[in-house]
Amino acid sequence: MTPAGPRSITRLARIAFLSGVLLLLYGPLAVLALFSFNDQIIIALPFHAFTLEWYREALANTLVRESLKNSLVLATIVTPVSVILGTLAAFALTRFAYRFRGAVAVLVGGPLVVPWLLIAVGLLLFFSRLKMPLGFTTIGLSHIVVAFPLVAAIVSARLVRFDPRQEEAARDLGATNAEVLRFVILPHLAPAMAASAVLAFSYSFNNFVISFFTGGFELTFPTWVFSTLRHAQNVPIVNAISTLVSGVQLAVIVVAWLLWNRRARKLAGADPMEMLW
Amino acid sequence: MVARPVGAPRRRSPAGPFYASLPTAVLLLLFVGPMFILLYYSFQESSFGQTTGWTLENYTSILSDPTYGKVMLTTVVICTVSMAVMLALAIPLAYLLALRLRPKAELLFLLLLVLSEELNPLIRVYAWRTILGRQGVVNFLLTRAGVIDQPLDILLFSSLAVVIVMSTTYVPYTTIPIYAALKAVDPALLEAADDLGATFGTRFRKILLPLAAPGIFVAIILVYIPLYSEFATPALVGGTSGYMIGNAIQEQILEAGNRGVGAAMSFVLLVLSGAIAFTGYRLGRIRRLQATA
Repeated sequence: MTPAGPRSITRLARIAFLSGVLLLLYGPLAVLALFSFNDQIIIALPFHAFTLEWYREALANTLVRESLKNSLVLATIVTPVSVILGTLAAFALTRFAYRFRGAVAVLVGGPLVVPWLLIAVGLLLFFSRLKMPLGFTTIGLSHIVVAFPLVAAIVSARLVRFDPRQEEAARDLGATNAEVLRFVILPHLAPAMAASAVLAFSYSFNNFVISFFTGGFELTFPTWVFSTLRHAQNVPIVNAISTLVSGVQLAVIVVAWLLWNRRARKLAGADPMEMLW
Repeated sequence: MVARPVGAPRRRSPAGPFYASLPTAVLLLLFVGPMFILLYYSFQESSFGQTTGWTLENYTSILSDPTYGKVMLTTVVICTVSMAVMLALAIPLAYLLALRLRPKAELLFLLLLVLSEELNPLIRVYAWRTILGRQGVVNFLLTRAGVIDQPLDILLFSSLAVVIVMSTTYVPYTTIPIYAALKAVDPALLEAADDLGATFGTRFRKILLPLAAPGIFVAIILVYIPLYSEFATPALVGGTSGYMIGNAIQEQILEAGNRGVGAAMSFVLLVLSGAIAFTGYRLGRIRRLQATA
């Protein structure tokens, strides 16, 4: 028996398995994108003819525009607030000792462990108890409370790997607290903060369940998709706008990752995997 | 949870509470507050937003009603089958990524996994409708190939559809923690086992699985528990046979105005999630001890 035979079979099986996984992950999205160019209202094979009609209709649709705008504005507000709150929490959890540190850690971990549906239901009951009208503000507050613990987890993970000798060296050389923060700690944290900003943004932009419960009649992009699909089987304009949105999301993340990768290569030793987290 | 960091300076200083104050205030108000309101509502008689008095009725009604029992059973079966499918995909995938692929391929594949997770999950659910529907791609191909004469209806708006969609949506979240755990395995350990004549099965059972166990535990916390509170996927592809507890909660709270019952169901689900997390944690720890022994 030559070793080449079984080895190439293993290799083939591996390639088949990996392509299968990719097909499961990306195949449906590719089909969705394909049908967005199909010149028929019924989404079914075989293809009829190529059209851009659905894109034109989707972009002209007021609800689509309104909901996309809402989602973008929300994510743009939620992201910096979450990064600031999350970084504060990470500092509090990793750099200092005080009486209630354990309790704070449990509190910050809470929204990461409790299922989103339950947080959403709780927030809905809470806002309606306070007679707060449901809408943009309530969705934003709800996104922040779930997104910032995520940031805290990522930034903490980076902070615990901080070499305290760097800080000591800076202090020995006469750096003030503010200078240590500005020139030593924040540069060390920058990649984790950037990665968590990307995550917080896409969390807010993609979140459905919390927006659905706490939004009242205010539409975000995911709640628009849901309510449209609930009442209709196939909607080509959803294909078109989804393809567009996913394309932009993919492009933004790939570009961010490539930029990070280039920076990482420049500063040898930085880990390109970090951006993935 | 997190072990005391080796390097980070941990000074006793008023700056700690200062940094903690704002995030803590936000969480107390918008996380602890709502959880208490949820608990409060679950013990209140309520109709259309008004609470009228304390009661245990909400809990007794859901625990004694066979319909909820059935919904709960459906939920457990769908979530468990989906999780099993995901682990069956994720464990070999994590193994290939961590120990078998070349670094370039490994990085590319990881990037593809993470990327797919950044896309809107609802879009993915909708995409599967195009694949699984009566006029969908699967039925089209099977009919063309002559395997079936009539399109299969069970593929969409069924519990099967929910399993297919859920188990493909969270594969990356399942794979990455297991990958991280396996990445820590010393390849020499596997080579040694190989040299001593261990079969793949033995290596898998005695080395890989115990070392992957902490990752599997994280994957369960990250994926299995959230599956229980899914409601968008079953609402869009589940039909009646895929109706899950999340749908029941949504219906009680948003459609029937039955906040007390909805809140009680939420709490039952929360307790269940806690129980799963605890069991997973215990299992993860026991496996790890065996691996080091």
